[in-house]
Amino acid sequence: MDKIRIGIPRSIHYYYYGDLWINFFKKLDCDVIVSPRTNREIMEKGIQYANDEMCLSMKNLLGHISYLQGKCDYIIIPRIDNYGVQNQTCTNFLAIYDIVNNMFSQDILSYNIDVAHHQTEEKGFLEMGRKLGFTKKEIQRAYRDAKTFVQNKKQELIRKNIEKLNSEKEKVLLIGHPYNMYDDYIGRPIISFLEKLNVEVIYSDLFYSSITGPISKQLSRELYWKFNKESIGAIPVVQNKVDGIIFLSTFPCGPDSLVNELVMRKIHLPYINLILDDIDGRAGFETRLESFVDIMQERKRKHV
Amino acid sequence: MKPCYLGIDIGSISTKGVILDENNEIIRSLYIWTEGNPIEAVRNLLDGLKDDLPDCYEIKGIGTTGSARKLIGLMVDANIVKNEITAHAIGTLSTYPDVHTILEIGGQDSKIILLENGIITDYSMNTLCAAGTGSFLSSQAKRLGIPIEEFGSMALESQNPVKIAARCTVFAESDLIHKAQLGYEKKDIVAGLCKSIVLNYLNNVGKGKKIKGPIVFQGGVSKNKGVVKYFEEVLGEKVIVDPNSHLMGAIGIAILAHNNAVGKTYQLNIRDISFETKGMECNRCSNHCELLKIYKDQKLVDSWGSKCGKF
Amino acid sequence: MSKKTISFPHMGNYSIPVEYLLHHIVDANILIAPKISSRTIELGTKYSPEFVCTPFKYTLGTFIEALDMKADILIQAGGGCRYGYYSELQNQILEDLGYQFTYINLISQGKTDICKIYREFKKIDSHFHIIKALYYLFVTSKMVKYMDHVDDYIRMNIGFEIKKDSFIHANQLMLEDFKKAKGFFHLRHMYLKHFRKIKKIPIEKPSNCFKIGVIGELYTLMEPFANYDLEMILAKYGIEVKRYTNAHYLLFEKKKEVKKYLKYAREYIQYRMGADAADNIGRTKYLCTHDYDGIIHIKSSFCTPEIGAMPIINKICNQYDVPVLFFSFDANTSKVGIETRLEAFYDMIEMRRKK
Repeated sequence: MDKIRIGIPRSIHYYYYGDLWINFFKKLDCDVIVSPRTNREIMEKGIQYANDEMCLSMKNLLGHISYLQGKCDYIIIPRIDNYGVQNQTCTNFLAIYDIVNNMFSQDILSYNIDVAHHQTEEKGFLEMGRKLGFTKKEIQRAYRDAKTFVQNKKQELIRKNIEKLNSEKEKVLLIGHPYNMYDDYIGRPIISFLEKLNVEVIYSDLFYSSITGPISKQLSRELYWKFNKESIGAIPVVQNKVDGIIFLSTFPCGPDSLVNELVMRKIHLPYINLILDDIDGRAGFETRLESFVDIMQERKRKHV
Repeated sequence: MKPCYLGIDIGSISTKGVILDENNEIIRSLYIWTEGNPIEAVRNLLDGLKDDLPDCYEIKGIGTTGSARKLIGLMVDANIVKNEITAHAIGTLSTYPDVHTILEIGGQDSKIILLENGIITDYSMNTLCAAGTGSFLSSQAKRLGIPIEEFGSMALESQNPVKIAARCTVFAESDLIHKAQLGYEKKDIVAGLCKSIVLNYLNNVGKGKKIKGPIVFQGGVSKNKGVVKYFEEVLGEKVIVDPNSHLMGAIGIAILAHNNAVGKTYQLNIRDISFETKGMECNRCSNHCELLKIYKDQKLVDSWGSKCGKF
Repeated sequence: MSKKTISFPHMGNYSIPVEYLLHHIVDANILIAPKISSRTIELGTKYSPEFVCTPFKYTLGTFIEALDMKADILIQAGGGCRYGYYSELQNQILEDLGYQFTYINLISQGKTDICKIYREFKKIDSHFHIIKALYYLFVTSKMVKYMDHVDDYIRMNIGFEIKKDSFIHANQLMLEDFKKAKGFFHLRHMYLKHFRKIKKIPIEKPSNCFKIGVIGELYTLMEPFANYDLEMILAKYGIEVKRYTNAHYLLFEKKKEVKKYLKYAREYIQYRMGADAADNIGRTKYLCTHDYDGIIHIKSSFCTPEIGAMPIINKICNQYDVPVLFFSFDANTSKVGIETRLEAFYDMIEMRRKK
């Protein structure tokens, strides 16, 4: 029998689960196809499929799915409701599976995470593995192995990220969702530009969530979106060690529109708010970033 | 005396008028700029139409459509006032009875109308924002220093249209300036703008609509050959642009005026009738409605904008 | 200590039951903020983040107006999407504007913390009594139920009234009486009396009249100012309007109904999609299969759950060949544009019928 081919869209969920999925499915001896880095064609496809008012990140995801369509047996799209009562996700995470299922004729491999109702990640993987015809034992072993690998890798990334705080260069904390920051069409160009300006970029998602989650209460008491909690939670952790903060979000992100506004009203560091819209619409960003770096340097000089 | 019917389509940018005879053939037509003053534009329009209308005709019906349809309907005492979607569909059907899809991009509106056996089955209009419409195109042409009439043919020369983000007017404008400053060729920018209008239209107004041929494209922007070309390229179908494409709304409403004629004879001498509007804020209750009062010959004939219905 | 002044945001006529409740349970001045006007929106938009959904802007505007009228306690509720997070940011924005006030959020982090609310009310009025409060809460919930019930009837018939505005007047009389309710039985008596009267209002309704279902995001549905009086415009065309979302549905029926909808529309959706998105998909299927002439879906700009539901609603309507019209309202939508679209929609369903 041919191997089962699993398609992984290199978009939203990939940046949380990509490594875990790849390892898990490889352990189960499936073929894994990851869509390429976002390019203009993928983005344009996404815009074609998406509703006009969807956020850029959703459009991006739909573009990746349309790329994978027909190239694999299943495309993996989880449905994530929450990671506990106070750790919810943006409603797009709740709806993504059903939206995609109605838009594409491709078979979808899905699982549901709803920790408040005892639907955990592990249960989800079991469900998914069973659908593909594996035994409970095989699935559990593959899941645990993959999980250990991913956790080690993440720890290494976190260590490196925290190490950067000792750098002599100008340091800026980049606050954003990983699927925006690391996407080749959304955040990457901004990161490379900052690196070109000799700025050290600290990523808000690479901290221990057991620290950033609770500490985010200092900035927002009532916040209930897990991903936002963890990214703004990086601020109290590093605020004495960085020179500035960049908020990066896509237009029109629901949670970011409120959370970032609240946080910006409370912090005392220089910051800019970058909102990315549509393809190639980033005219003027470079100028803004350059002047932002100038401000940080000026401020530092005064303080020394 | 032979009966004839007048249709007036008052858009934000241009005002169109046609006079049809009993067989719905065009006797006279005129196209002028609205220039922000629909009342004056219609006076000029009627003067122009009146002057060269043969004496053997008398006007037995007037219809108005377009964004100022209600106001002008009152002014000329029209026997029918209809929205531009219905008017465009009726007008187009008179020339193309088997039309399936009507694409329309006007001054500040863009719409798509789907028909089946001569009946509107679905339509949609832009989300109340001027991005990708005629007014946007002409302001960008001005910015680039190109006469709007040459815009389309210039776009045809380009081999490599530049990518322009046209989802929103503000974004598009800054993107356009940026591209120009980077040193892209003008014709490529112009072509990029035309293409982005097409893509934006299909992603916004045309989203989820089954576009089938025959396709008719109309409204002011249909005169732009660049936009037509990119529509054909993206849709992979022939796109028909009627020589009278800019008049379709007016033709449609004239036909409706014909069908709904009440037997009254109209004069086109409205120069002598005074017609004024007065805007005011009503402070009688906490609604603070913005009222618009309309006076014809110094007499209040209507007022709009009140929420409580007192006026 | 002087009496405190409490205020809260508007939504349709629901300020009446809210006022009734507060009036009976705390000893404080109750300030009904000015009705939403263009000024409210101007204020709200000025101080709101750029791409927040419209209800944020409207309620913020109302709060500013209330604070300018010397309110010192503001009450806000939360919901199942971004709405739940409004309170903290609004609180901050108003504080930054220099106002001094107490902000009570009834639903914090998706939950109602009864103890906390009790403490808050005790602070306002030391005689606050929980048993009394629970009783009036019960009466108020019934009031909401009666209001919504009458509203449903009016919506179906107002387009066919013979004497203009007779329904609106009768409804206003009922609401005025409701304010004076002494208790549950008194309230019920008035409800029965008025509803009998309203049912007797003469109408001229053809048996095959046009029927349209209005679905979408809750605030835009329930606040006529936010939907530019859409229902009244439809009534003018002589259309029977069906709307599901009202306060009673959201407070008491939603939990149960969502499950039904998910089951009913399971060929389209498997999970809840946030806020009322799944409900609306279920309703779409129902409307499509029950002889409705069309569906109008309305929401405020940037309402994420409804944006997600739209492609699915569109798909269902295409399958059943029922026309659907989508509106996305913002603070500066033009009413003329809406009227044009509705008129064309009416022309279209009329043409379809003739065929």
